[in-house]
Amino acid sequence: MMVRQRHLALPVAAAIVAGCLAPLAVLVAFSFYEVEDFDLVPAFSFRAWGELAVSSTDWFLIGKAVLSGLSATVFTAILGYPVALALTRLATSGKGLAIIVLLTPLYTGEIVRIYAWRIVLGGEGLVNTLLQGLGVIDEPLKFLLFSPFTIGLVLTYNNLPYMVLAIWVSAEMVDRRLIEAARDLGARPVDAFFRVIFPLTTPGLAAGSLTVFALAAGEMLTPSLLGGTSGSTAMALVDNLFGTAFDWPLASALALALLATLFLVASAMAGLLLRFKGARAVMGRV
Amino acid sequence: MRRASLCVLIVAAAFLYLPLVVLTAFSFNDSALMAFPLSGFTFEWYRELAQNDNFLKGFVTSFLISQPVGILAMLFGLMASLALTAPGFRWRGLFAVLLLIPFLVPKSVLSIAQAMIMSRIGFERGATALILAQSLVALPFATALISAVMVRLDPRLIEAARDLGASPWQAFLRVLLPQIRPALSGAYSVGVILSLADLTIAMFLAGRTQPLSLMVASEFRRELRPDLNAMQVVVLVLTAVLVGLSEAYRRRRLHKLAANA
Repeated sequence: MMVRQRHLALPVAAAIVAGCLAPLAVLVAFSFYEVEDFDLVPAFSFRAWGELAVSSTDWFLIGKAVLSGLSATVFTAILGYPVALALTRLATSGKGLAIIVLLTPLYTGEIVRIYAWRIVLGGEGLVNTLLQGLGVIDEPLKFLLFSPFTIGLVLTYNNLPYMVLAIWVSAEMVDRRLIEAARDLGARPVDAFFRVIFPLTTPGLAAGSLTVFALAAGEMLTPSLLGGTSGSTAMALVDNLFGTAFDWPLASALALALLATLFLVASAMAGLLLRFKGARAVMGRV
Repeated sequence: MRRASLCVLIVAAAFLYLPLVVLTAFSFNDSALMAFPLSGFTFEWYRELAQNDNFLKGFVTSFLISQPVGILAMLFGLMASLALTAPGFRWRGLFAVLLLIPFLVPKSVLSIAQAMIMSRIGFERGATALILAQSLVALPFATALISAVMVRLDPRLIEAARDLGASPWQAFLRVLLPQIRPALSGAYSVGVILSLADLTIAMFLAGRTQPLSLMVASEFRRELRPDLNAMQVVVLVLTAVLVGLSEAYRRRRLHKLAANA
């Protein structure tokens, strides 16, 4: 048989199946195994799932992951829209530069970003020194570092470029004349945004939200290194069950429950955004 | 209106670069304490860094791991893009969804699952495991970069080459490859950069291998040290150089293509 261009999908698909799907399938299998004398024994036991079902800590942590994913999505969307719309107004030569400026922070190491924020937000960091110098505060603000605020801020920072890119691509496709027509007909800029631009860019917003939600909700390093006492995450617990406690069935069940919950919330969110009239108009045209 | 957009962009850039600028400032700050106001200029921390053999070793390790990741991401991204743009590929939608999986499944979940399967089948965690896992995570990015360029190419060029008697391989080498070379270099850089940036996968799969990010993370839990700042800046500059080089290459190719056209 002749090798055709489309057959090149095979090695790639094989790599993803072996590297992603097989490990996830193994998680499913392990969640029904039993642990005896520090050894994993094949079985068909619901012990792990039963323990998970009644554990309020586990469900609290899963809810927390959803919440931090959703808040990062909302914050990046609110900040991302003005930036994306401003980008569409740049000249073509400026856009190339803007992409680089936008993407470079994305390329910096996970630990570099975490490290840098710790210096910015610390007791003697930039923000506190500045505010004290201006006489706004007398004592350094404690909540800046090692708090839920820190996690929210850094997750927003980490994911903002993805959201901007997604909305930007969508906004570039909006016919500029539609906005001008709305303005000519007397719409205020706010109305023009909510009734023309926003509906027409919901596909981009949906793509951006899906991305940011998946990345922020699954993040475990930022909370654990910058969240202080509020930094516990479902993934850190999975890591603990996997490494220290050697309870692989429970670790697998918890990881799967997290994954399934995130998947459900993400599809609900994307589905909701794509039900907007404008989104249907855009998607219908393609 | 123009001015308002410009202001928004400047504020956004300031937010994105603020932590990096502060980091850089402290790496040259003449004090062991990371506190404002800055107390003077020094190269002391960079000198200390250059004498730290551990960091140098970690640096070499990270670099050696990032190279195969870049190459694998580029090759597999190219194959995936060729398949995605192939005429008459019935499973295109399903294949595209498959390509999104390494991007959408959180890296932490994926790495733990991979660590479990590896220890069951006796595949030792270490550099090889790390390279394979990082390549997989880079694959969606590489594919997006390459296929974004490929869908915009004129398919008639390839058809013309084939009609004139070129074999598929010749048509690929002589017609397609010159046009997508900038995208390929972009895919390679993304692989390298994501590998250098990664900490999550390394935490689960590095085994006894000690890439730089892992060393910094363990130091981070103890204390902040000025020479760590200096090291972060070095990593940052190298990443920026890489981005700059690949962008310059892309532009030069585009100019050449435009000149030839």
